Amino acid sequence: MINDDLALRDLSDVADAIAAGRITSVQATEACLARIAVWQPRTNAFLRLNKEKALEQARAMDKELAAGKRRGPLHGVPMAHKDMYYRAGEISTGGSAIRRNWVAPVTSTALQKLDAAGVVELGFLNMAEFAAGPTGHNVHHGHCRNPWDDKRVTGGSSSGSGASVAARMVYGALGSDTGGSIRLPASACGVVGMKATYGRVSRAGAVARSWTLDHVGPLTRTVRDNARMLAVVAGHDPDDSTTSEKPVPDYEALLEGGVRGLRIGFALPDALVPVDAEIGAAVQAAADALGKLGAIIAPAQMPDFTDLYRAAEVIVKCEAAAMHRPWMEANAPYANQVRTRTDAGYFIPATQYIDALRLRAHFVREFLAQAMHGVDAVLLPAIPFPIPTIEETDVEASGGPATLKMVARFTGLTRPFNTLGLPALSVPCGFDKNGAPIGLQLIGRPFDEALLYRIGHAYQGATEHHKKVPA
Amino acid sequence: MDDKTRLAAGLAKQFQGLTYDDKRLAEIAAEVEVLNEAVRKAAAQRLTFDDDPAAFASVLAKEAK
Repeated sequence: MINDDLALRDLSDVADAIAAGRITSVQATEACLARIAVWQPRTNAFLRLNKEKALEQARAMDKELAAGKRRGPLHGVPMAHKDMYYRAGEISTGGSAIRRNWVAPVTSTALQKLDAAGVVELGFLNMAEFAAGPTGHNVHHGHCRNPWDDKRVTGGSSSGSGASVAARMVYGALGSDTGGSIRLPASACGVVGMKATYGRVSRAGAVARSWTLDHVGPLTRTVRDNARMLAVVAGHDPDDSTTSEKPVPDYEALLEGGVRGLRIGFALPDALVPVDAEIGAAVQAAADALGKLGAIIAPAQMPDFTDLYRAAEVIVKCEAAAMHRPWMEANAPYANQVRTRTDAGYFIPATQYIDALRLRAHFVREFLAQAMHGVDAVLLPAIPFPIPTIEETDVEASGGPATLKMVARFTGLTRPFNTLGLPALSVPCGFDKNGAPIGLQLIGRPFDEALLYRIGHAYQGATEHHKKVPA
Repeated sequence: MDDKTRLAAGLAKQFQGLTYDDKRLAEIAAEVEVLNEAVRKAAAQRLTFDDDPAAFASVLAKEAK
């Protein structure tokens, strides 16, 4: 019972308690392991659990602390990560059958940074095959199941990251986001997910879905936890030339500014899929709550998302087709969903791919001038409908058009922000009629993650959604 | 098999070394047509000779808070 209570505490709380000597890293790790023993059979969130290694790391972290060495703000905190972050000498499946036994030759920059900060690694988490799937289905390793209702999807592709954080098996987890893959599981599982600005976090040593649209980022239970974790993994990396040299702010120190006087644009855009009334009402209630805290809520003039969505589709299909070509030609064992989403990449002319890339700068300028004109951030839903079941969204047997329709339905409000590269934070804002979580999205100007955290933190200070725990 | 599907069949076999059945080729041709048209239209409205893909990162940096 003591262990279980410890697992229910937030990352920041546990990290600070370890630093203060009130608890040990071993106790926190044992609490997570006890939680995993109960929740892994229900969720299938873990692909590999490294129990003994994690306890060994935790003991080492406790020893260091006893000797007066605290590595950083995550010292001794147990986490696990989407199984696409390479750890040299260890298996890294990318959620695939193709790489079921493949051993990574390098360690990803994100994991190196977490190692340096003192994080304990419990193992690696379920994900959509090669990060290509918005629901959490995985025909090779078993579907990941939503802790709030095991018949419902977790969202993907960072399915295990969302499920493990929501079920309190870990305090935080890395995900990745090419079309919504951090924000969708965050929203569906009721946790916080940050897709930071393109270039804010290194992608080196992480499985690519699309080099120019991939974003690495954290999933956590609270905005404060997320701010702490992003500050550790963000920053320039010589191994990823697309990373920015802009200094990384102390996001946590900037959390407490409140929202009074901030202008927040609010939108329920009917993009590729309409916003369900129940979801719209929950996000409207969040806007009202922020208004009560002193924010000025104004209608956001959103652009037509169709062009942004289709440009992203062109980019991701062409890049994925190139990187997967040898396996595709060899008829390697891909899920039907992954194969059919990639095929078009072999037929799209290179000029269209290049033009899609050239359009991105225009799209960013237009979005900032239109949707963000006169506002500090934009608020909209993450997933515009109640979380469906695993069965309802299983397109494995249906083929191409059904897969594309399902993907568009899930990512219609998230993928445009991968095209734009803008920071996007998903925060829980309620529960639907089935008891599954609802998430909102906050969009900011380039590299303005701190402001999104500030708004999200103020919102969580005034609401209780993030405190509910799956039973 | 319509013209676009026939073209897709030729592209697959002659230029990409890939084989698909006719039904799948028709689906791919339809998908590519939608994506191509969207980018062509958006490009025609916006792009000039001097537009560089690298401008994306520059815009993010310039517009940064």
